[in-house]
Amino acid sequence: MDGFSGTLRLTDLNDFMAPAQECIKPVTINRIPEKGRSIKITASGDYSEVDAKGQEKKLEKAAITLSDCLACSGCVTSAETVLIQQQSVDELLRVIRENLEVPADQRRIIVASVSLQSVASLARRYRLTMRQCQQKVSGYLRSLGVDRIYDLSAASALALTESQREFVDRARRNDPGSLPMLASACPGWICYAEKTHGSWVLPYINTTKSPQQIQGALIKKYLSRADHQNPGKYYHATLMMCYDKKLEASREDFYDDVLRSREVDCVVTSLEMEQMLEKKGVLLDQVCSSDFDLLPGLSTEFYNSGGGAGGYLENILRHAARELFQYEVGPVEYKTIRNQDFRETTVTINGELKLYFAAAYGFRNIQNIVQKLKRSKCPYGFVEIMACPSACLNGGGQIRAPDAAEAKVWLQDVQELFDSLEKTDAGSNIPWLDGLYRTLRDDPSTEPSKLLHTQYHSLENKGTALNIKW
Amino acid sequence: MASLDLVQSLHGHDDRAWSVKWNPAGTILASCGSDTKIILWMEEGGKWSAKVTLTNAHQRTVRTVAWSPTGTYLASCSFDKTICIWKRDETGAFDSIATLEGHENEVKCVAWSISGEYLASCSRDKTVWIWTCEYDDEYDCLSVLHSHTQDVKKLCWSPSEDILVSCSYDNTIKLFKDDGDDWTCVETLSGHTSTVWSVGFDHSGNRLVSCSDDQTIKIWQRLGGEGDGNFGAQGWQCVCTLGGFHDRTIFDVDWNRKNGAIASAGADDSIKIFEEDLDVRDSLREPSFRLSFSVPRAHSQDVNAVSWNPVRPNLLASCSDDGSIKIWNYTQEAR
Ligand code: SF4
Repeated sequence: MDGFSGTLRLTDLNDFMAPAQECIKPVTINRIPEKGRSIKITASGDYSEVDAKGQEKKLEKAAITLSDCLACSGCVTSAETVLIQQQSVDELLRVIRENLEVPADQRRIIVASVSLQSVASLARRYRLTMRQCQQKVSGYLRSLGVDRIYDLSAASALALTESQREFVDRARRNDPGSLPMLASACPGWICYAEKTHGSWVLPYINTTKSPQQIQGALIKKYLSRADHQNPGKYYHATLMMCYDKKLEASREDFYDDVLRSREVDCVVTSLEMEQMLEKKGVLLDQVCSSDFDLLPGLSTEFYNSGGGAGGYLENILRHAARELFQYEVGPVEYKTIRNQDFRETTVTINGELKLYFAAAYGFRNIQNIVQKLKRSKCPYGFVEIMACPSACLNGGGQIRAPDAAEAKVWLQDVQELFDSLEKTDAGSNIPWLDGLYRTLRDDPSTEPSKLLHTQYHSLENKGTALNIKW
Repeated sequence: MASLDLVQSLHGHDDRAWSVKWNPAGTILASCGSDTKIILWMEEGGKWSAKVTLTNAHQRTVRTVAWSPTGTYLASCSFDKTICIWKRDETGAFDSIATLEGHENEVKCVAWSISGEYLASCSRDKTVWIWTCEYDDEYDCLSVLHSHTQDVKKLCWSPSEDILVSCSYDNTIKLFKDDGDDWTCVETLSGHTSTVWSVGFDHSGNRLVSCSDDQTIKIWQRLGGEGDGNFGAQGWQCVCTLGGFHDRTIFDVDWNRKNGAIASAGADDSIKIFEEDLDVRDSLREPSFRLSFSVPRAHSQDVNAVSWNPVRPNLLASCSDDGSIKIWNYTQEAR
């Protein structure tokens, strides 16, 4: 199963091992202890238990949830199997179908949040402009029975402003361990950092949630308030660029015990969306168009400047220059180091180097950053770390060129489509942003410092399951 | 008659000896093993003895050692997931100057490119990494290659250009090249029916030798390469399979770049030398090799590696699970 970022693949996620084959996670199965029992494997591969009287009983399969897998440092290999069952187009369609079968007053509100990277991918596939594609995707989702469709405007604006603030705080604090700040929007990178490097690297990671999770929090906490509804009433699906986002949505941190609800219930990738359209024989360009909805309080859309990785580097750079040095950064110029996925940029004022940022995409470049950091030789203030080469427009869940030889051109097309939308700097005036912050602050349950931030957990591997001679 | 005569048995490892490598000048033999030690053996008055022992760099088995083309650097890789770079100073002492981390588990092999610009490593984590050092003994990772589907056992670089070859538990051999922005797998050689344990180039870089758990040795030839009678065709092809000589897994092969002899060794405790039969070579594309000499009980246990001395082509070194290192003298058949 492809679709994950290379980083996760290295961390054995792609090994495709059925749960329990090598799973070290103890699972509780309800059994009454009794003497004289033995376990038998039937011809069909099921496990049966034979008691002292020779009575046979089929044993329940141990169910391991995706969160179990993610919280375990043993193997992550079974995660994928579980993941595909729990977050798939079929699951989404099932929820929608069942929702339509219950009386109207008991129905859940089905919300879909659509990433711009996915729109760009679908736009390339179906030869549409960004605007057309947004409207077609929206129209199609509505025809399936989705009630509300949003883009990630509010979530991206909040993710960027919170990251900007956090960077400036860290820079002012400037104790050991506060800089460099490492980007947090890519779950492929986060999973790798937690599983492979653990405690020493985690303090460097921006605590701001990714746009997907901020959007989830907004739907379940902010939208529900505005609608005067219980958060559990919402079923929230996202259309994203990678499978890694499914892992992100499944994190314990994004599950609210009290509300018994996840910020994001189901993640569907661009590729899965395409496959669904193909399977149903739907031609996206022939679907009725409809507009996206706007979250309460939003008056315009916001599309971040600075590229498919979320624009963190550029937006933080501009904000930090303004806040720390009262300096306006012009167009950001990059210097490519070694390969196109490793770029640096600096802000120099009166000959003095003030800010030194880097973008490092793909596993090989993550390696170099992490190793430099480990040896205290990382010169950067901020690093936009993303697991995929070329970042999210090239995510593992994006639609591929039909012919592998055209992959580069295809990606360029997607990039051009993405760039065709007018982008805004998060520091400039986003008309509704202050209002949104005010509303969030007014309610303790949506307090931005909690709602928009998260934490990371060290899951370092304590030795390998296999111990072989070679 | 050809012969392979024991020159000397060297004892210094307290556990399995995994790898032996001559420095480019042919004056130092480096060995490593499960005892986590790296021993440098040198000749003095006709006798080889342990001159330097490098310890404390690795926590677990040191699987392979590799010399840089100038002999200034030695790289070692270990089951402790790390690679260590050693530098020789003016006095001849070796200091550990860098530790490369990144592999998820056991690192199986390291190899320097002929230009000295790149260092490659491979691991049970199925990946091949390419590293480079630009300044200050700081090594950067240039590429992480996921082409193999299983444990990657061995690596070697072409003697004529920057082409890297790897072999794996997935039964294949892969060739990698730099495409400008990243390294990519340019070719996969299938033919072995089990784990490919080792690969090596001939002097020209147009031929490869590989050995496998399927108990065969295969010779591969670059089509379109010089003198293969198939000019213009692309890719590599197996041109000869040597079976029925070893009756257990073959762990290592080394192609002598001076005299063309191929040495092989494996789990049957033997060392065998093959020579190309130039007389019966009817077509340029299908060479024939014959067994020139065999030492059935070369060691008392598995022979893990063999290595020809690059300057004194008659000298062969071997190492074994029995912990010993042996130096052999090979006499070619008079022509
Ligand atoms: S870089 Fe983007 S697409 Fe790739 S894993 Fe990270 S978030 Fe997903």
